[in-house]
Amino acid sequence: MTLDLARIAGQIAAMVADLHPDDQRERFAALEHTWETIDGADIRSRLDGAKHSFLLPAPQDSYNERHPLPAPREAYCVAATDGSFILPSRHNPARYYLLNTGLVRLEYGPEPRALLDSEPILKFGEDELMIGSPVHRIPVNGTNIGPKRAAEELRAAANLLADAPEPALALQDGTLILWALETLPEPVAAWTLPGFLEAMAWFRDYQIPLASYVSAPGTREIVNLMRIAICDYPPAGKKINCDECRGRILSEGHSPACDIIPEVTDRFFFESIEPLEPGERSAIFQSTSQILDRYCADGSTDFRIDYFYLNVGLEIGRVEIPHWVSKQPELVDFVHWAVYDQCERGRGYPVALQEAHELAVLSTADRLVMEIAIERELARHGIVLTYTGKDGSKRGRFV
Amino acid sequence: MVASSNRSGALRHGEVIETSTVGFLAESDRLHHLPQLGELVQARIDDDLTAYAVVSFGETSGIDPGRRAVRRGSPDSADNDVYARHPELDHVLRTIFRTAAVGYAQDGRIRHALPPVPVPLHFGVQPCDEDDVRAFCERTDYLASLLAYRGEVAAEQLVAAHLRWVDATLDDDHEWLGRACRTLARLMKRDYDRLVILLESIDPDNS
Repeated sequence: MTLDLARIAGQIAAMVADLHPDDQRERFAALEHTWETIDGADIRSRLDGAKHSFLLPAPQDSYNERHPLPAPREAYCVAATDGSFILPSRHNPARYYLLNTGLVRLEYGPEPRALLDSEPILKFGEDELMIGSPVHRIPVNGTNIGPKRAAEELRAAANLLADAPEPALALQDGTLILWALETLPEPVAAWTLPGFLEAMAWFRDYQIPLASYVSAPGTREIVNLMRIAICDYPPAGKKINCDECRGRILSEGHSPACDIIPEVTDRFFFESIEPLEPGERSAIFQSTSQILDRYCADGSTDFRIDYFYLNVGLEIGRVEIPHWVSKQPELVDFVHWAVYDQCERGRGYPVALQEAHELAVLSTADRLVMEIAIERELARHGIVLTYTGKDGSKRGRFV
Repeated sequence: MVASSNRSGALRHGEVIETSTVGFLAESDRLHHLPQLGELVQARIDDDLTAYAVVSFGETSGIDPGRRAVRRGSPDSADNDVYARHPELDHVLRTIFRTAAVGYAQDGRIRHALPPVPVPLHFGVQPCDEDDVRAFCERTDYLASLLAYRGEVAAEQLVAAHLRWVDATLDDDHEWLGRACRTLARLMKRDYDRLVILLESIDPDNS
């Protein structure tokens, strides 16, 4: 163990004390008041011509509605997939990457049953280890494999539900918005997005709802919306202009009106400021992430991602669904109830996702078994492996 | 003594997942379904060699040792309802049982000695029918090796459980049990106190 905890014990105490400053009460009250009086038409007019850099939900008529837990379903089927990977290593003489997807299908009702499996896919060879054209080649790495893994997980979930009894739900871990594509080069999107959207289309075509569950979401879109709602530029007859407003802080000693809104997450908001009751969900909001424009290549908005916050009993989670699901109230009710039920069965986190994760995880022992299998196969071909100095030092630690 | 022919894998308790000269650990084919403590079981080593062992320990727990079982039920949903509500449990839990080797059959002859080689890993563990039990237990000298057992269960408990199980299986008006007890009395003549406790625990009139 190399961490000297005694050296940072004082800082840990100071950090924790900083988490709950008492002076936040006034700011929480402002947040609460803004939420209670928020008006869809007002937000629309405030956003007309506004210049801001907040990620906000798309304008809608009503924001602060709440929906209690729908009636339970006696029988349903849920499939969840989760992936992990072994990346190409320059310390390893064999060049490959491995995607391992945990597969879970659970059926509840008069004849409960479960299917638990995992599906490893080994990729090797120049064509599979390099993305893009021969002119501009990008090696597969820890960043660009993320969206690829998401596409594989979605494809595997579709396969799992191909013969599922109704009603059925596909659950994914985390977000359905491929944020990584925002910063990754175009060839990576071309490598990952078509497969992802193809799987999305499968769910829509078969009308099997798809949802993802984000535990402890760090998003602030709803709290950001309150900054728009409280901005004092529109009452003064001016368009919202964040750069201009913040520029006046130094030049004029100006205090932006939205600074009264505390720096909290939507999760904190629905947990402590406007608490959702256990089982209760927020309104459905539409994400305006620019990535989603790429989900609509055919002009349809079916694959835009919407979301709601849900009190699953132990925490406030974020549930993301494609737009075609959120347009159908009966499917929304099913997703709402099934995600809550999954969390209840899983003591706070969807049980299907828990098991999919367990099946996906590659332990150190798994990785070693993989390496030994490759070494043996190479040895059969008369190739003896040599390891880099660093890799060797990790394999045989010495003092 | 002549051993009966071995059964096919169609009827079996489970599969060997750890093996050694002195016994094996097996995983049950079905959760919570395992042979009784003290039951005689058999496992094929090869076509002419079958190992006999006595079940000495049973356990149900998570397959992954890092995942401990947690409470799943409530006053409204308990026991079998828990499994109906959590169908994945059948896949993440497992029932295992340990056995102590007590003998083997080779070329049709039963010997009360450790098998020459361990049962292969992943081979099946089969129950013994009444004829197998009668043939193997005809002589009772193998009880000496059970009395020397060291494991999770005390040797006297294991021997007592085995005697009760054989007595119930043979249903011979306790004729075999009487002989086994005389063997125990001889084997434990220097340990009268332990012998009395053991004999009292298998007294058929008290059960």
